[in-house]
Amino acid sequence: MTAGHSDPGLLDRMVRSSLGWLEGARGQFRLPANVTTDADPNLTLKPLGELAELTQLIGVLHPREDIRHTARGLFAFAWNETRDGELFAELIRGEPFATYPVELYGVFAQAGLRHAEVDELVRTTTRLRGWRVAREDHTRTLGVLNAERRIGLRQHADFSAVLALTGLGGLPEPWALDRKAAYGVTHDVFHLTDWGRNRQRLSPELAQYLRLWLPSWLENWLEEQLWDLVGELLAVTACLPKAPHDPAAWQRLADAQAADGSVPEMGAAPSSDDPDELFTACYHSTLVTAFAATLARIAADEAEAGPSGGDPALVGGRTPCESESAP
Amino acid sequence: MIADAATGVALALRGEGDPYALSGILRQEDALTPAAVRVLGADALAPYAVEHRAVAVGADDEAVVRQALAAYPPGADASAVSAWTYRGLVEAAHAFLPGGAPPWPPPPEAGTGWVESDPWPKLAHRASQLAALALPPLAPGLAEQLAGRTDDLARGFVRAVRRRDWLQAAGLGRWLARLPEAPQTLGLDSGLAFVRQMGGTDPRVALHVAAARRFHGRGW
Repeated sequence: MTAGHSDPGLLDRMVRSSLGWLEGARGQFRLPANVTTDADPNLTLKPLGELAELTQLIGVLHPREDIRHTARGLFAFAWNETRDGELFAELIRGEPFATYPVELYGVFAQAGLRHAEVDELVRTTTRLRGWRVAREDHTRTLGVLNAERRIGLRQHADFSAVLALTGLGGLPEPWALDRKAAYGVTHDVFHLTDWGRNRQRLSPELAQYLRLWLPSWLENWLEEQLWDLVGELLAVTACLPKAPHDPAAWQRLADAQAADGSVPEMGAAPSSDDPDELFTACYHSTLVTAFAATLARIAADEAEAGPSGGDPALVGGRTPCESESAP
Repeated sequence: MIADAATGVALALRGEGDPYALSGILRQEDALTPAAVRVLGADALAPYAVEHRAVAVGADDEAVVRQALAAYPPGADASAVSAWTYRGLVEAAHAFLPGGAPPWPPPPEAGTGWVESDPWPKLAHRASQLAALALPPLAPGLAEQLAGRTDDLARGFVRAVRRRDWLQAAGLGRWLARLPEAPQTLGLDSGLAFVRQMGGTDPRVALHVAAARRFHGRGW
């Protein structure tokens, strides 16, 4: 992998700029009145859930206080939109066997934001035999398992056994990865490491596999200008022990970020005047950029401080013996 | 013409077709022969590296190679690729057409600084253009240096397959077959088989894949 020094200034500018755009997009994140009935969850719950997931992490882990402060504000906004969790009680009563309300609730529960009625509901629904059936794919199952862990529920399956069935766990030929499989691999890593909070959960074997092949994938999707996947691959790179840093890749992602902070999902910035269309085209990549730059910033600080200088806020931290190059 | 010659070499390496003779495929009197030999480089003589499959046709083969060496010497400002492919042809002449008269010229110097300094995508592209030098026992020094960047060549293979650049992938796969420690998770054997299936209609792709299999037993 290209060895290079990170540019903390660039990384911080990217996070600030992304968060600035997200601040301005609060109106689009706001949940409509029909969110629990006929609204399209891909345009309502999914964006809000992502906002919560990633701003929670940035709000706790970013080394700069001003950035943490902005991120915490967005996270509080998201919780407020769920009406302090009441939304989840409604969603679960409407669809008691769906996993997505549990996955979304997990984001808030791990931050200590609980709703007593939701806690009781999920204790009942997640202990059913029916809850243990396989999800659409193994990567999604990892997401459900991670949510159960966050909420403090008994995990319905063995995490390692499910991981072994995923696109990451199977160590597929790296040249056989298509776009969908690439998103699968990034999310396998995110669920396994709790979105970079527990990077030591990445086994030496998986870390070595990723260290070898991430540069190829990154180069491929940089060429295709698929910016959200580029951001996800950079985030995964930052999860590796002694994370390598590719300054050229970061610069290319920075160049894709518009002056207003938005990052298009693909190619050049969309030219539409419709704010909803712009939001849909940009919110995901913009969040991912802020997230990836935060993880890369943490990795850069660790590289600076040496192996024992990790951020104590990272649960579990990291020890040198967890590097894949260790005996 | 180059395609036909490459097909002839690939067939010979697979043990198919008539016994190979360079001067039978690329005739001395044909005006395009020197260019074709220069492009194929060491691979023009690759079938002679296979025991019992081909017998060099003495003076005629020699004349074809001498013609190419004389017609397209690399200039003082030649690229590393040009210098190395020329050197490859000279090395192959020494190895497979011995005892020529007058003796073959000594292999010219060719630089290797790029092996260390190129970023991996560029390194991979260059190495793939020099895939004929992966023919054993040529260029042992280059092979040794490239071995130090095995992982980067493997990354290039992955990128090339994903871009459907079968020629680059085949050339890199051939080098990786020669180098001692291609990463296990690459899946080199199935990778070469995949490249053959997807891009094997290009005779140069077929040639590299056949060479990886014939000389290194990879790609089954």
